[in-house]
Amino acid sequence: MKYFCPNSIDELHKFLKTIRGLSMSILAGGTDLMPRWEQNKRLMPDVLIDIKKMGELFGIRENENEIIIGALTTIQDIKKSKLIYNEFSSLSEAARQFAGVQIRHRATIGGNICNASPAGDLLPGLYAHHAEIQLIGPNGHRLIPVSDFIVGPGKTVMEPEEIVSEIHLPRKGEKSLFYKLGLRRSMAIAVVNFAVVYNTNPDNSFTSLNITAGAVAPTIVFLKSFSDAIMNGVPLDEAIRFVEKDISPINDIRATANYRRTVLKNVLKYTFRHELADAHEEYEEK
Amino acid sequence: MYGAGPIADSLYPISLIVNGKMVQSDVPAKLRLLDFLRNDLNLTGAKEVCGEGECGACTVIMDGKTVNSCLILAVEANGSSLTTIEGLSNGEMLNKMQKAFVDHHSVQCGYCIPGMVLSGEQIIKDHAHPDRNTIREDLSGNICRCTGYQKIVDAIEFAAEKHR
Repeated sequence: MKYFCPNSIDELHKFLKTIRGLSMSILAGGTDLMPRWEQNKRLMPDVLIDIKKMGELFGIRENENEIIIGALTTIQDIKKSKLIYNEFSSLSEAARQFAGVQIRHRATIGGNICNASPAGDLLPGLYAHHAEIQLIGPNGHRLIPVSDFIVGPGKTVMEPEEIVSEIHLPRKGEKSLFYKLGLRRSMAIAVVNFAVVYNTNPDNSFTSLNITAGAVAPTIVFLKSFSDAIMNGVPLDEAIRFVEKDISPINDIRATANYRRTVLKNVLKYTFRHELADAHEEYEEK
Repeated sequence: MYGAGPIADSLYPISLIVNGKMVQSDVPAKLRLLDFLRNDLNLTGAKEVCGEGECGACTVIMDGKTVNSCLILAVEANGSSLTTIEGLSNGEMLNKMQKAFVDHHSVQCGYCIPGMVLSGEQIIKDHAHPDRNTIREDLSGNICRCTGYQKIVDAIEFAAEKHR
């Protein structure tokens, strides 16, 4: 394996032209790649490109309309960010529950997105907040919604010469929460996880509601049938059945499909009854 | 090593600071930082258990942050400053965290302890007055197979208060 560590996007693109035909991997935090190689050395690429010296990919900044997170920003930096805590609490909470301290010090938001795990902890929040992913390639950059960027487990629409440079989060003043069920409280891959992003009227009824769930389908899914039912005033006990319309869980080492289906509905019910009680009661009274 | 791939393994020069001393070496890209520390530098305090970042036995402090040295390549550590468990004491003089572990009988088989002590250092750096829940939460990347967590938490709690 060869190793290359470019200092800028320009340098990266020049280098990429010299290695056509060889297999390559982009290395950010390495917390997904290294265990994969540990299990199967043959997955190591011919060329490894370490992008951590590309300073332009770090940090969290804001403008009037968006918060922009550099792809190499670590999960620990996201966890510690006041800005994200205040405006995108589902992401803040997902970062808090993400692995352990040592992993959070290395793992990056860009890596978590590119890994495209059906259970990725940041993903439900990014989907529900309608995050956009900025890709940089030799011909410039493009911005795509995260839900279009990820197309299957481990699969994205990123071209071989592109990298993820930024994550754009629209500032809509929404409230949000994240829930994760793992087999232990930390260092756990989610059995199910979900995010709820919502806004309420002064009387606490919902004006908008986006619910996304992970580990229950090949990619994160919007539980649109369920949220539509809630928005249309269908009582919770009835509406909850619509959750099944948008999910297709499988059996795996962590849980059965049936367990995932049941636990997701139960925890969602609990969340709407208790965590979102104010907004929910308003709609029950209607 | 890992066997020759289609591309011959080149060596890459690295220089870094390990426990206050400058170290220079030429390493293959595939070499993990953990193996570099243990085999090339003979610093065997960091241990390998799971090899995939779950257990924290290989924890070292890199540029002021705890990391799993089994998940980092030696080449990635180029230009960094590392502290391993060997770097905490001053000769025979244990530092405050190490002493707290001894005084609280926190060590059973001892295999996880280098990682636990370094994570303890990170905890008192990150939190002025960590309560037991905070300590447990931030220690979750370190597994003790002897399950002696109470006394480990006792030691870190004590060192944190002494730290003030």
